[in-house]
Amino acid sequence: MKNLNLILAGVFGCVASVWVGLLVTAQVQLGSLGRAPAEEGGPLFPAREPGLAIQGRAVYLDLGCVACHTQQVRPAGQGSDIARGYGVRASVARDYVLQPQVLLGQRRVGPDLANFGARAKSDAELAAFLTAPAAGVNHPPYAFLTAERSAALVAYLKSLRQDYSSPEAKLKQ
Amino acid sequence: MSQENRPGRPPGRPPESGAARLSRTEAGLRGPFLCFFTSAVLWLVVASVLALVAAVKLHRPGFLGECELTTYGRVVAAARDTFVYGWGFNALFAVNFWIMAQLGRFEFRNGWLATLGGATWNLALTYGIVQILRGQLGGFSLLDLPREVGPVLLVAFLLSALWAVVTYARRPSGQNFVSQWYVVGATFALPLVYLLAQLMVLWFPTVGTVQALAHAWFVQNLLFLWFGASALAAAYYFIPKILGRPLGHYYLAPVGFWTLFLFAGLAAPAALLGAPLPIWIQSVGVVASVLSIVPIVVTGINFYATLSVDAGWARAWNSTTLRFVAVGVVSFTLFGVLNAVFSTRDLSAVLAFTSFAEGQRQLLVYGASSMILFGASYFILPRLTGSLWPSAKLVHLHFWTAFLGLLVGVAAALIGGWQAGHQLADPAVSAAQVAANAAPWALAGSLAALFLLVGHVAFAINAFGMILASTTPTSEGRHD
Repeated sequence: MKNLNLILAGVFGCVASVWVGLLVTAQVQLGSLGRAPAEEGGPLFPAREPGLAIQGRAVYLDLGCVACHTQQVRPAGQGSDIARGYGVRASVARDYVLQPQVLLGQRRVGPDLANFGARAKSDAELAAFLTAPAAGVNHPPYAFLTAERSAALVAYLKSLRQDYSSPEAKLKQ
Repeated sequence: MSQENRPGRPPGRPPESGAARLSRTEAGLRGPFLCFFTSAVLWLVVASVLALVAAVKLHRPGFLGECELTTYGRVVAAARDTFVYGWGFNALFAVNFWIMAQLGRFEFRNGWLATLGGATWNLALTYGIVQILRGQLGGFSLLDLPREVGPVLLVAFLLSALWAVVTYARRPSGQNFVSQWYVVGATFALPLVYLLAQLMVLWFPTVGTVQALAHAWFVQNLLFLWFGASALAAAYYFIPKILGRPLGHYYLAPVGFWTLFLFAGLAAPAALLGAPLPIWIQSVGVVASVLSIVPIVVTGINFYATLSVDAGWARAWNSTTLRFVAVGVVSFTLFGVLNAVFSTRDLSAVLAFTSFAEGQRQLLVYGASSMILFGASYFILPRLTGSLWPSAKLVHLHFWTAFLGLLVGVAAALIGGWQAGHQLADPAVSAAQVAANAAPWALAGSLAALFLLVGHVAFAINAFGMILASTTPTSEGRHD
């Protein structure tokens, strides 16, 4: 292995083949996914985020909430997410097609939020929890949040829902 | 006893030898090397402080809670990025550069270009870290610097690191060694991967969860093909050189090299088991992760065959450089075995989203790469500054605190992750109970971060003392 061109060509081949085989192929397979009804003529899902929730997503990113919270419900048999009440069905790729930045997360210091909107408390309770959680709760107090940012974050968290049927994941009746 | 083998005394030319004399190769390297190295050490101390704050916040969420700049998410991202892009990249630029120039006997004449790249890199990174602490951070770890920083870092990388490829292409000696393959491969692969990941995740985001796959692919390549491959290059260089014997089973080395580069990226989807991605992608990731054991076995055979004859381990223990490097290669092997075993579907389902993956990552990035970089620093710096390390006690303090920090940090993350994973798998155990049970392991993580901070401060004091005390070396009188 004395030939530089051989090493460069080999390394390029390794990187490029994996990029094409995994990423380009995944993009071909999933790239055309869009909103869809569970049944013909039904409402389209996932629903679009309301404007306040879009602002709340920015707050969620600013604070770095993704460091402690995931947004993905794994299928039964792959962890206990559904049994734990994080979701009513497994997350599917279509659930994320409207998200400009997919926040699946990698660590669960706190609970999963993929379907948080379906189990959330009232806006006031949630805002109070974010700014001043009860003693002993493993969540930082965000007392510095203004009322506007707090309301936006609450709106975003309540917009997180995966409790609808989609072509790939029908809810059991 | 040679100076290299004297316990506790890192290498350096004795003061009585008069003015330090550099080889022509070393003289051309001195400026860029010291630029990268001093930047790396400064970033290391900053990263250690941030990591300690983040570790404390994990078990005391209210710590510094009144300040928005120090939310856990921001601090942990800043700590990770300063460590990886600040310490890791700068130190790897320096060490890779030095190894390639030494092996190729290449006289470097355009040091200002590399130094310009280093300055650009560090300015862009400083801007990025400040922006992260101000709240402009993305959702993907290690790609969370503001996206405008990405192109600047890419250009700076090309200016700083591609000289390694130039030294290989234009080496007058024609010498060829396994370390050179790894440095060339790492230096060529990283900018390619970084560019594609930036495009697919930040500039022209792909649809939905393909972003997460692109991110996982980037992180896997960054860890294996930049940190892993560069650390292996240094280990392949220092172990035979200091022990003064040829590499054991050298003929296997190409197998390790090519399998590492092939399987590293392919294994990326293993980090996304259970995620909303096609099953075939996840299966490919699991298979490639298990196959990643091949380069681990090959590199292990090379290193341990070299270290295991003629009292090699004892000699390694008595050499400051090799002591760090030996810890590094053992950490690399351990990481590889854990990575192959715990990527399997059943174990991954239990351990996903816990600190277990963080423990594995620490083994690679700190245990393997950083320990080897520390060892390399103890070898290279005295040769470039013409001075001895000012304090042997600080060298000892650095080694033991780094080792203990690594041990406690990795053990806490792995055991804590194992425990949390099994409790999370049982729906009867509430999330609050899981968090409460994890508190002692988080506390141990803080202790580990404290150990590392102490060690890194000791290293910085020693290194800067040495650099400031260095004479102006001359290249006259020494030829390679």
